[in-house]
Amino acid sequence: MSVPVLEVRNLTKTFKNVVALDDITFEVRQNEVVGLIGENGAGKSTLLKILSGIYQPDSGEILRNGKKTVFRGPKESATAGIGMVHQEQSLVTSVTVAENILLGSETDAVTAGFYNWRKLNAKAQKQLDKIQSPISPTDKVENLSFAQRQMVELAKALGVEEFSMEAPVIVLDEPTSVLEGDELEVLFAQIERLRQFASVIFVSHRLDEVLRVSDRVYILKDGKSVAERNPDTADVDELHRLMVGRESSAEFYHENEQTSVAEMPVVLSVDGLGKRGAFSGVSFEVRKGEVLGISGVQGSGREELTRVLFGAEPFDTGTIVLDGKSVRFSSPVSAVSAGFGYIPAERRIEGIAQGLSVQDNIFLADPAPVSIGPFFVASKARAAAEEWISRLRIRTPGRGTNVSNLSGGNQQKVVLAKWLNSPRLRVLILDHPTRGLDVGAKEDVYTFIRQLCAQGIAIVLLADTLEETIALSHSIFVMRDGEIQRRFDASPGNKPKPVELVEQMV
Amino acid sequence: MSQTTAAAVPRPKLAVDWKGQIVSALPLIVLILLVIAVTINQPNFLALGSVRGLLESMAPILLLALGQTFVILTGGIDLSFAATASFGTVLLALWMPNLGVLGVVAVVATLTLIGFINGFVIAKTQIPSFIATLGALGLYSGLGLAISGASNIRIGESYQAIGWITDLRIAGLPLSALLVILVAVVIAVAMKVLARGKSFHAIGLAEQALLMSGGSTLRIRILAFTLCGLFSGLAAVMLAASQHSGGPTLADTLQLPAIAAVVIGGTAITGGVGGAMKTVVGALIIVVLRVGMSAIGVDPAFEQIVYGVVIIAAVVLTIDRTRLGVVK
Repeated sequence: MSVPVLEVRNLTKTFKNVVALDDITFEVRQNEVVGLIGENGAGKSTLLKILSGIYQPDSGEILRNGKKTVFRGPKESATAGIGMVHQEQSLVTSVTVAENILLGSETDAVTAGFYNWRKLNAKAQKQLDKIQSPISPTDKVENLSFAQRQMVELAKALGVEEFSMEAPVIVLDEPTSVLEGDELEVLFAQIERLRQFASVIFVSHRLDEVLRVSDRVYILKDGKSVAERNPDTADVDELHRLMVGRESSAEFYHENEQTSVAEMPVVLSVDGLGKRGAFSGVSFEVRKGEVLGISGVQGSGREELTRVLFGAEPFDTGTIVLDGKSVRFSSPVSAVSAGFGYIPAERRIEGIAQGLSVQDNIFLADPAPVSIGPFFVASKARAAAEEWISRLRIRTPGRGTNVSNLSGGNQQKVVLAKWLNSPRLRVLILDHPTRGLDVGAKEDVYTFIRQLCAQGIAIVLLADTLEETIALSHSIFVMRDGEIQRRFDASPGNKPKPVELVEQMV
Repeated sequence: MSQTTAAAVPRPKLAVDWKGQIVSALPLIVLILLVIAVTINQPNFLALGSVRGLLESMAPILLLALGQTFVILTGGIDLSFAATASFGTVLLALWMPNLGVLGVVAVVATLTLIGFINGFVIAKTQIPSFIATLGALGLYSGLGLAISGASNIRIGESYQAIGWITDLRIAGLPLSALLVILVAVVIAVAMKVLARGKSFHAIGLAEQALLMSGGSTLRIRILAFTLCGLFSGLAAVMLAASQHSGGPTLADTLQLPAIAAVVIGGTAITGGVGGAMKTVVGALIIVVLRVGMSAIGVDPAFEQIVYGVVIIAAVVLTIDRTRLGVVK
């Protein structure tokens, strides 16, 4: 067997007193796609940052084609032929595709500080050709869709070939987390193409995808590489069990806890709602304890719809009726005081208030339950915060800990606690509530959604995947081009199939 | 709900953030070291007379700095506050002869309104507070110059209505300065005990998150500038009382020391971290520094240079670079 193109031996890294990587060993062979999975905090990001030269390991070594190497910075890692496609895109949106692809490696495409556009575009085209992308080097990045931008990132990552004699290793960090439908297929086709001349490390939360594209899968847990599996013989349940270290619940989505809501009173009723340029003629009802799932591709108008419901954007036509009273929110302030809650997709910006403590975050939306008049009752707040931490199993050193020190899943639980804490909550809008969460944290979120239903909260859900939408919802409608395309009943025992939804989406 | 009260999860431990602890205690350490240094140089520094002088010169700086603290906590800055206070002293000198005490109330109300307008414009149009208040600085210092004829105006007979402010003493210490410190304590306590007391901090740290939690970021932002205006008004009254007159540039030299007091006290210029008591420490550092400089014979003309350097140094020390993606 030939020498692995990339090998990591006994890598260890600690931060303060948290062990992020604990003696990790793995290898990537020529023309191979290696899957890397693990829960949040399992050490994936740390490992990738070491591979890209951002962090230095405390001990252990990295071998490139059998030679020991040290990456002192991103440049050295790129020179060794390791290309990164980051989870959060890192393109400069206001300039062209070519400028982005060659950013930092323009070499002879720049003379005396000026671009030689012909050379620059030709060089960029060369990278784009490798993935047979139809994107033009002269396109502005801001005019590209998210999926197209990802292709640009990929072309940029492939640029490492230019300064390395060796076949490149491309690292894809959570590339599928915001892709849907066709875009996913395009990415998978790209990975197949990469396999012809490169090796790929594919990091993902979506186990079925990892199984589909990888030749081998490594499972990380608590900073250790706990297992290696062959996708031909492993299944999602097994990977899940290895990742979370407990039996995979057959009822991942807690479908058996879903109750019928047909007899429940209507809480939220929307009639003929429209916003110019976004959506029109949207009518629906949500009953007490009901989950309404809204499906649709990006640009279908569903994101705008939820922001309008929450008062973050104005609407032009139609009515919103809450508990029989017509409401028109000028801002989230009035929406919240009327009993709306919102769990945003942009958790780190709109969800948690970074820098404030866990406790302060929990009472950010409604301090009333722990106050007397305008005054905060410290003892009550302490007790209530502790109760939420143990009830939602929030992993935090304490209630006074800065919320930015928590992992993504635990931050999301803090956001949930913020709304659950409010006795006036009537309608909760969940905008991709499990985005970027690992399997364990997802399952917790599903449990809490079921409990919210039991408490009689009406829920509007924009889910991450179709499976999630179908399993959690009582009813679903699919939006396309700003209109409701079709409605589905999704009550217990009456679930539509994913493909039925997809047909309406595209 | 039985399944939710599962066994308590293990609590991860977090290392004590020694660097953070030291940085937040640094202003107090600096203050103590400064006092010791000046006392060694001038053994009678801690005598009643010089402490009285120290507090008297601190009072207007602290008033201005407290107002600015609200704005800086939200992540903004008000550059017009000293110019507005100067404008206020001119208004006082013009209005008091006719209106007496009512004139004082009118001036404080006017400056509060000016702060409100600043905040309203900034919050509504979402322009940087730096630009909006730079414009306001020009506007009100110009107005002050115009209506005063570019000269100081003595407050005549009616001075009695405000003279007591700087004259009254408790145990030999100026009542005015003690009252200002009391105000700072009240602000600090209010931010702790009020349910919405952390709102200024929350805007500075995470405006979007506060907005999406139903917090009225618009109102809080306006309130910060309104309070800054109110404190400029109070500072104007105190300055006029100590100078027996109003002048179009009377408070202008307090601009740098007041901003320096806020940032050197440990309130982050990026917002979200800090408070009134930190500003008190900052103001004390500034006045002790001032006394110390005159003790070693520094020309007062050089003071502003020191304040400028101090502001930059304090921000360099306290800024959290991990939160800044790109420096603007």
